[in-house]
Amino acid sequence: MSNLALIIEDDEDLANIFAEALRGVGFEVEHVPDGKLAQERLKNGNAPFVILLDMHLPHVSGADLLTIIKGDEKFAKTMTLITTADARMGDLYSDQVDFVLIKPISFVQLRDLTARLKPK
Amino acid sequence: MKKIIDSILNVSVPDPDDARRRRLLNILLLGNIIAVLLGLLAILVANLVSQQFTQSDMQILLVGILVITLGIMGIYQINRRFSGRWAALLYLLLLNLIFTFTDSPAELSNGRSLFLYTLPIAISSLILIPEASFLFAIIGGGIVAGLAVSINQTVNAFSIIGFLMLALVSWLSARSLEAALKDLRAVNANLDQQVIDRTQALTQSLERERIEAGRNQAILNSIADGVILFDREWNAILANPAIKGMLELPLELIINKNFRSLIEHPKLAPQSRGLLYAMVEHDTQPIGFRIVWGEKTLSVSAAQVYDNSKTTNSHIGTVTVFRDFTREAEVEKLKSTFVGIVSHELRTPLNAILGYAEMFKEAVYGPMNDKQVNMADRVMKNTQRLLALINDLLDQAQMEAGRLTIHNAPLRPAELLDTLHGLMDKAASDKRLRLTSEIEDDLPEILNGDAARLQQILVNLVNNAIKFTEQGEVCVKFLRTDDAKWGLAVEDTGRGIPESELPYIFDTFRQVEGSTTRVHGGFGLGLAIVKQLVNLMSGDIKVESQLDKGTKFTIILPLVIP
Repeated sequence: MSNLALIIEDDEDLANIFAEALRGVGFEVEHVPDGKLAQERLKNGNAPFVILLDMHLPHVSGADLLTIIKGDEKFAKTMTLITTADARMGDLYSDQVDFVLIKPISFVQLRDLTARLKPK
Repeated sequence: MKKIIDSILNVSVPDPDDARRRRLLNILLLGNIIAVLLGLLAILVANLVSQQFTQSDMQILLVGILVITLGIMGIYQINRRFSGRWAALLYLLLLNLIFTFTDSPAELSNGRSLFLYTLPIAISSLILIPEASFLFAIIGGGIVAGLAVSINQTVNAFSIIGFLMLALVSWLSARSLEAALKDLRAVNANLDQQVIDRTQALTQSLERERIEAGRNQAILNSIADGVILFDREWNAILANPAIKGMLELPLELIINKNFRSLIEHPKLAPQSRGLLYAMVEHDTQPIGFRIVWGEKTLSVSAAQVYDNSKTTNSHIGTVTVFRDFTREAEVEKLKSTFVGIVSHELRTPLNAILGYAEMFKEAVYGPMNDKQVNMADRVMKNTQRLLALINDLLDQAQMEAGRLTIHNAPLRPAELLDTLHGLMDKAASDKRLRLTSEIEDDLPEILNGDAARLQQILVNLVNNAIKFTEQGEVCVKFLRTDDAKWGLAVEDTGRGIPESELPYIFDTFRQVEGSTTRVHGGFGLGLAIVKQLVNLMSGDIKVESQLDKGTKFTIILPLVIP
């Protein structure tokens, strides 16, 4: 089982914090800072264990990326967590993803959550 | 004809009794003249037929008639120009004198002509004074007695007593007639005065009304707000000039038109149409709202007009006031957009600060000493406060812009409480307070509502309760208030809210007492947002508080959402 966590987040600091939280529980972390790059990464790259997807991204929206993830068989076993500041948007996608994280997202909260999800 | 007769008969004097008597005398004089002339005519005709009268008889007759006529004319002149009393007295004396020469002394004193002397008695009380009848009873009686003595006959005492009786009756009737006339005149005078008074009062009140109406019109004309007065059927019956400029319509298209035709005007934005129709159809007194008319935003407020003059206090129409709100609406829109953007942009870096502070605290990059952990903790707490404030501002901005909406869906009260404990237990235990919760048995397991907003309300109230309570507990309760309603109650054992401040606690940007602000910080938007959210949910919020005992907030919400 892959030990990879893919963070798609345009804010460098938040990405950094998320990365530290995930590394802290033993994930290998890959960061993509832009919607377009993320699109290519998802199409061409291998499936990670967990994807942390920001819904507000430049160029290609989180919603479009989510459609790619849901439509690709290789992500069938991948856990998807979306992050958004808009609780309404979170409600909208809560059926399609494993977890909705509403910003502000706490370092400890993310660390503890992913620790539970991580393969033993 | 009547005028001519009146001008002959009437004598214009101020005393109405005197005028009446003089007119009466004139009528008698006129009657006498006519009678004399008719008598003369009859004698002449009779003489032509039968040659009954001798030359000297005719001469005496003509002289007598001439004397009578001249006497009557003289009395008439006295009556007109000098005195009614004297004229009447002379007339009556003349009558007695004439009667004395009309028949033989025997017939006059005790025969067919005795009745003649009753005439002056009856007439005198009418044209002289009531008591004069006695005088002429005595004069008549005297003449009758004198005539009887002159021809050596016994005096007819019965006729003299009869004269006196007649005088008594005449006196009484004339007196009561005068009294009745006097009363009538008093009543008339009183009525006249009343008419004068009423007329004067009416004139004055009309004048006042005219001044008042003029003043009201002047006020209405100079008001900058547009005012339209509608009757019960919503026909415009009055509008001021300001409304003309506001709606950019001539007054003729407003006044005497039904409000519905104005609502259908193409300048009115379609989304505003419903609001105005609601006001017209429901006929209730709506609170102020805004409409978009062409390029303008107008605020509309309406008040029903009641007629207080009647006991029924009936509804007679509605007065609507339109105020140009364009500038304010633009500023508000700009403000809410600005606040929205700023809030969003502020949240991302604050999330980063929060995250880094947590990382310090969690010693991600190596061990930290106690002071460093404490500082990281403080950075976190302050960042959270800032975030909460930004959230409040964002909510407030959305509510002011009318963009915050309620999304109802089935929810479980138990889940709301679980989440609440997850969020607030730590804050409570940090202050050594108990956070307890309970759900009343008869509350349905699943309710309809906006879970996120209810959660926000609960967090806000519990957060406040913890903030203002130093010891004891904070209790959250889900209630079933009646068949149609359920409720939420948050009760604490804190310091309480002074009674004087209770009316203001739901105001935007206000916290109880200046000193509290320094201790607890914050803008105090929380309760204002809670109240607005509750209102959006068609609910009601109440607060009860006792100083140093505690505060209880109760929210009542409908079970079935309207």
